[in-house]
Amino acid sequence: MIKTFDRYASVAFFVIGVAVFMYIRSIEISTAGSSIGPKELPTFLSVILIILSAANLFVSIKNQKPAKQEKLEYKKFLIVLVSLVLYAVLIEPLGYVISTFLFLMVGFQTMEKGEYLKSALIAAAFAGGIYYLYVEVALGVLPPLPF
Amino acid sequence: MESLQYLAQGLSVALEPLNIMFAFFGCLAGTLVGVLPGIGPISGVALLIPVAAMATSSLPMEQAATASIILLAGVYYGAMYGGSTTAILINTPGENSSVCTTLDGYQMAKQGRAGAALAICAIGSFVAGIIACVGLIFLAVPLAEFALKFSPAGQFSLMILGLCALSSLAGKSVIKAFIMTTFGLILSTVGVDPISGVARMTFNYSELYGGIEFLTLAVGMFALGEVFKTILTNDYIEGEAIKVGSIMPTKKDLKDSAMPILRGSLLGFFQGLIPGCGATLSSFMVYTFEKKISKNKANFGKGAIEGVAAPEAGNNGASGGAMIPLLTLGIPGTGTTAVLMGALVMFNITPGPLLFQDHPQVAWGLIASMLVGNFMLLVLNLPLVKVFAKVIETPPKYLIPGIVAISVFGVYAVQGSVFNLFLMIVSGVAAYYLAKNDYPIAPVVLSLILGPMIENNLRRAMNLYNGDYTMFVKDPISLVFLIIAFLWVAVPQIMKLRGKTVVVEEG
Repeated sequence: MIKTFDRYASVAFFVIGVAVFMYIRSIEISTAGSSIGPKELPTFLSVILIILSAANLFVSIKNQKPAKQEKLEYKKFLIVLVSLVLYAVLIEPLGYVISTFLFLMVGFQTMEKGEYLKSALIAAAFAGGIYYLYVEVALGVLPPLPF
Repeated sequence: MESLQYLAQGLSVALEPLNIMFAFFGCLAGTLVGVLPGIGPISGVALLIPVAAMATSSLPMEQAATASIILLAGVYYGAMYGGSTTAILINTPGENSSVCTTLDGYQMAKQGRAGAALAICAIGSFVAGIIACVGLIFLAVPLAEFALKFSPAGQFSLMILGLCALSSLAGKSVIKAFIMTTFGLILSTVGVDPISGVARMTFNYSELYGGIEFLTLAVGMFALGEVFKTILTNDYIEGEAIKVGSIMPTKKDLKDSAMPILRGSLLGFFQGLIPGCGATLSSFMVYTFEKKISKNKANFGKGAIEGVAAPEAGNNGASGGAMIPLLTLGIPGTGTTAVLMGALVMFNITPGPLLFQDHPQVAWGLIASMLVGNFMLLVLNLPLVKVFAKVIETPPKYLIPGIVAISVFGVYAVQGSVFNLFLMIVSGVAAYYLAKNDYPIAPVVLSLILGPMIENNLRRAMNLYNGDYTMFVKDPISLVFLIIAFLWVAVPQIMKLRGKTVVVEEG
């Protein structure tokens, strides 16, 4: 297997550079009175990014190295990632305490199955504790319980 | 003498009960961060910013900033102390700058001298911390006064120098490091331009009008990025911690480590002054240096006390030294100081030459609190080292999801928007893949903070000089900075081409 990340990343940064360049050019503003406006620096930076990513692409094609074989825990990672996204989506409708409790339960069990009661206690203590400290003691704002 | 007066004022700030409490909490949290696997000083500081903001929300701005920065700095140097505990007891550095400590520290522990190694670490860290503080006290004001004389062109070039310094040592490939720097600068231009009022790259998201939030990006890239890495690589710390035993070092231990500690502290301190040379790099250099001049070279790697004393003094000296360019010039030289700078900016306090004039309370309160904090750490660490050794055994099952939940809480509590949570998640995933492929993360965050200041100085300079770009090379100070910046990038590359190995700072 050839290491392809560098190529994808170079192309991605190249595209970002071009997109920023075009976007900044499309801003219409008169810079009369000052010699440098809001467009100069981003334009300059986008050109630099384009040049650097082209250079990186060139280097990565020139020295193709085989990728290191690693055993990665994609399953665990994906479960944590998906539950994290759901956590972000649900934090406002379900409230902080419930969404945090659910996320932690899923997280604990994904890391290692078992000890359900202990997991539930820790998750509840964390969610409830933070909510109490932040909202009741420090008078901050977190999404309240939905009922 | 003037400095001592300021220091006395600073001490009166640092010794206020609230600030003592914050320093204590910061040192304690820092030590835990250092001890706990999967969370380093950068993510520790980033995660505690919301906690600090929350705890100080009822105070006036300047007081809140002082207390918060005292807490966060405590986390920073506390982590340097804590990192060595895991290095010695289970042969796994709690953070990168303790890698060298594992070489001799773990060997000492296996020979039943864990307690002595830990004690020497604490003493070395303490001496280095104090030396760095003294350096800070006497160098800060003259440097800040000198920096005030810089023209806008000079200030602009100084920031370019800071960026180049961090980037050229930040990773294996200088092209990749500069891609990250440029990308960070581009990210920093997102939002409403304060001078013309034009919205740049906001795509009608109201959350982006104020720019990309530094805290969101820092927590996402450092804390989440590290967590994802730990999950994916199954990189949990295993193995029993070696029993600590007596923590009293023998007279011979103390005698053997006195000079290495002194040399390590000084060397580390001066390296810390140089942007881009962080604690990791200097602990390596100090270790190599000590090995070179030592009479019993053969002992290094087999449990030589010098091999524990020197790098620990080195990394603490460097982390203290790194505060100087941050506070006096506004140039953070390492990832962690960049995060500290971001925290100060969040409190509307801009580090730099004007800090000592405009907010002496913050500047001197912080410096004095570092003195206080180092005493605290010494007192805290020696008797409690057995407790901290227990903390190492926190099961990752609860630790990892816990860190994620704290990240979510921190970002949501400060920004109050789900948009920022998504931004955090995206930057965490991106950071994992980028860092894995040698694209360094610290330059992105540093650029995000320096970006607006660079653009401001550029525009001020251009208005002053009527758009004459040649002023950057005509102004002598600016020219000197630009030349140093160029050499900083070019010299390591030339050394690499000639087949020499260049040590780089990671993390």
